[in-house]
Amino acid sequence: MSARAPRILHYGDGEAMLAFGPMNGPQLLVLQPLFEEMNRTRALIAAVCRGLAERDIGCWLFDLPGTGESPQPLDRLTWQDWRAAVSAAIAATGVAIHGSLAFRGGALLDDAVAGRRWRLAPTSGRSLLSDLRRSALASGSDPATPAGYRLPIDLAGPMADSDVVAGDGIRTVRLVSDDRPADVRVEGIPVWRRPEPQRDDALARLLIDDIAAWTSA
Amino acid sequence: MTGAAVTIEDQLRAILRDVLGVDSARAAAIDDDTPLFGAMPELDSMAVAGLLTEIEDRLHILIDDDEVDGEMLESFGSLAAFVRTKQGA
Repeated sequence: MSARAPRILHYGDGEAMLAFGPMNGPQLLVLQPLFEEMNRTRALIAAVCRGLAERDIGCWLFDLPGTGESPQPLDRLTWQDWRAAVSAAIAATGVAIHGSLAFRGGALLDDAVAGRRWRLAPTSGRSLLSDLRRSALASGSDPATPAGYRLPIDLAGPMADSDVVAGDGIRTVRLVSDDRPADVRVEGIPVWRRPEPQRDDALARLLIDDIAAWTSA
Repeated sequence: MTGAAVTIEDQLRAILRDVLGVDSARAAAIDDDTPLFGAMPELDSMAVAGLLTEIEDRLHILIDDDEVDGEMLESFGSLAAFVRTKQGA
């Protein structure tokens, strides 16, 4: 296990979850960005999870229903299903989760996780849906299925009204180029904005250092 | 935190850098006369979606779909003027 390959698990109704790192260190639940941004950040998040595993921090990376490898069609899901999936994923880990790592829209769901919360470039549901709608308009595709996503009203409606929840024990990280409120700013490429999947190994290292320090503080 | 001296133009340059992936030297060289849509190859119609959303989030305005046209995106100066008008509204 020197390479610390992730373990493949399942939770809920056949949804996939990857476990990185040892189970006797701090354990963090990873909340991925939503929709297309999830694909664009896949390499970054995997690099962060592997790096944290090497520092003896456990990371649990799960796909929301209707995304990634999920057997469920997105068009039957509700926002509440996604919120419930966070709790189901936590239960399936079988360990005590110490906090969460949320990337972009994943932060809209992190209030379902007890413990401390770390967020990278959190954004609102309205922004994410505006992006999808404008991309559809720009590409001439049907705004009802932006970027090929068939968004049910019970998902998009509550999501449009959702924003990140404030509270104690939250650390917000943003890129240097983004001047919205943050606890720390790091140099890096906003890979979630780039149409082609892109790596930023230097950004991954900065995030690993920040998370590791935050976890042990 | 950045100080109050950050201008709309500085913020727009940072957004163009982030959304389009133009390097900082190229971003710094952008001025009011720099043509945007149709002239900057990275700014295709899909990138416009990301650009508008980042402008809304970082400059605290709301942009209606019918406000987006060629005139608004013709040059960096016209985009900055649009934002300034929206912020004053």
